[in-house]
Amino acid sequence: MKKLALITTAIFFAVAGQAIASSDKIRIATEGAYAPWNYKDSAGNLIGFEIDLAKDLCQRMKVECTIVEQAWDGIIPALQAGKYDAIMAGMSITDKRKKIISFSRAYASTPAKFVVLKSSPNSSFKTMESDINLTEISDGEKASIGELVSKFKGKTVGVQVATTHLNFLNEYMGKDVNIKIYDTQENLDLDLQAGRVDAALASMSYWAPLLKGDKGKDMTAVGPNLTGGPFGAGVGVGIRQKDEKIVAMFTKAINESIAAGVASKLAIKHFGFDASVK
Amino acid sequence: MNLSLLVWGDAGWGDELFYGALMTIAVATASYLLGILFGIGFAAMKLSRHTFLHLIADIYTTVIRGIPELLIIYLVFFSGGNLLRAIAKGLFGYGEFIDLPIFITGMLCIGLSAGAYATEVIRGAVLAVPVGQIEAARAIGMSKSKRFYRILVPQVARYALPGLGNVWQLTLKETSLISVIGLVEIMRQASIGSGSTKEPFTFYFAALLLYLILTSFSNRGFLWAEVRANRGVREVS
Repeated sequence: MKKLALITTAIFFAVAGQAIASSDKIRIATEGAYAPWNYKDSAGNLIGFEIDLAKDLCQRMKVECTIVEQAWDGIIPALQAGKYDAIMAGMSITDKRKKIISFSRAYASTPAKFVVLKSSPNSSFKTMESDINLTEISDGEKASIGELVSKFKGKTVGVQVATTHLNFLNEYMGKDVNIKIYDTQENLDLDLQAGRVDAALASMSYWAPLLKGDKGKDMTAVGPNLTGGPFGAGVGVGIRQKDEKIVAMFTKAINESIAAGVASKLAIKHFGFDASVK
Repeated sequence: MNLSLLVWGDAGWGDELFYGALMTIAVATASYLLGILFGIGFAAMKLSRHTFLHLIADIYTTVIRGIPELLIIYLVFFSGGNLLRAIAKGLFGYGEFIDLPIFITGMLCIGLSAGAYATEVIRGAVLAVPVGQIEAARAIGMSKSKRFYRILVPQVARYALPGLGNVWQLTLKETSLISVIGLVEIMRQASIGSGSTKEPFTFYFAALLLYLILTSFSNRGFLWAEVRANRGVREVS
């Protein structure tokens, strides 16, 4: 009995030495059913923007990653229970979620964009800064917002009711444009085609497939990619609050990946437009 | 509805759905057998004279039948790993990450629930055997084990079969709840397919057919077993 106690203690100390959570192995959870963010091909392999991005980030962090599948229900509780260390599943950074988990910086966000008819005089309108993050506005971005406002001054802009896009129009362009509010996006599209509105504002994740298809053949996206501010903080990596080190590692790796242009290349591959956050 | 999505091989989802169905059968069978074991054990406790054993079995069936299955799954899934790690750390000083495989988690949860229903079915079946038969067996000098195997078991099986058939159907359908913890069975595979292709109807309809095939085949199996168990019984016409 004494011998057994001795052996157990010996094993305890031998193992306890390694028991500190190693950050050279990270398990990342994804849902696997949310195209094009993360999903499966018909051969059963996990694919999508976040799968590719995770591989890139892990290389940059120099860690060994395993990607775990987890149903969306309970994806945060299972993180808390220690089943994996990070979530990359198209999860938007919100204040409510921030109360229970930490987020890396945002790696993607589907920007808002204006769409006009190809026959419109504004069909090739571009601002100096093509990406405007409304959370922290630089001088260049401020000038570009000015360009945007003056371009559509006195025009009618259509938007769907109860959206962040409407909030943006009210906040930034309310004094200068006529805002026309629609119950559905489809009705807005019809009125844009009929010329009742000069431009429409919506998420690029809605526009991208529409503009590619037959319905959008007369339309084109113009102006800057709008993110941040009223549009929310975007999608980030969810991590346990106590793992500050892993949060910092992801944020650093995302910065590098974006600076190297890899994130935007992957985004264009999967979304058809650049959904990475600058 | 896009049937070309359901072809076999890497070009379609047919093989994935088929393996999902196999997983459903595997986890349902394992849970069911576990449930029957639980059922036999707890039914024996319920029928025992010891009030303590009786009480434990009563608590088991009341609690398990009284709470949603999904809740059991969440409890075991989210706290089972922590418990296991606490035990591993406390007893063996093992600090690395360990967790129950999701198949085992799912089997335990569904088995626990199936066991509670099976307990009542088996208890009822035992009570349905007339006491006079046991007394008669005792009177002609049958030993305890002989009374058990020759008199009790065949009749309990006969009385319990219809109820156990229902428990099987319940078990089979409850396995779909395990999809929430990520076990890739029919339901989870269908939701992966629909999320990946944006064709929900095709996949959920395929899942519906698979479940119907499984339940109708197993129904026939139970009917056959019932007929067999009733061989020696004359029907009242």
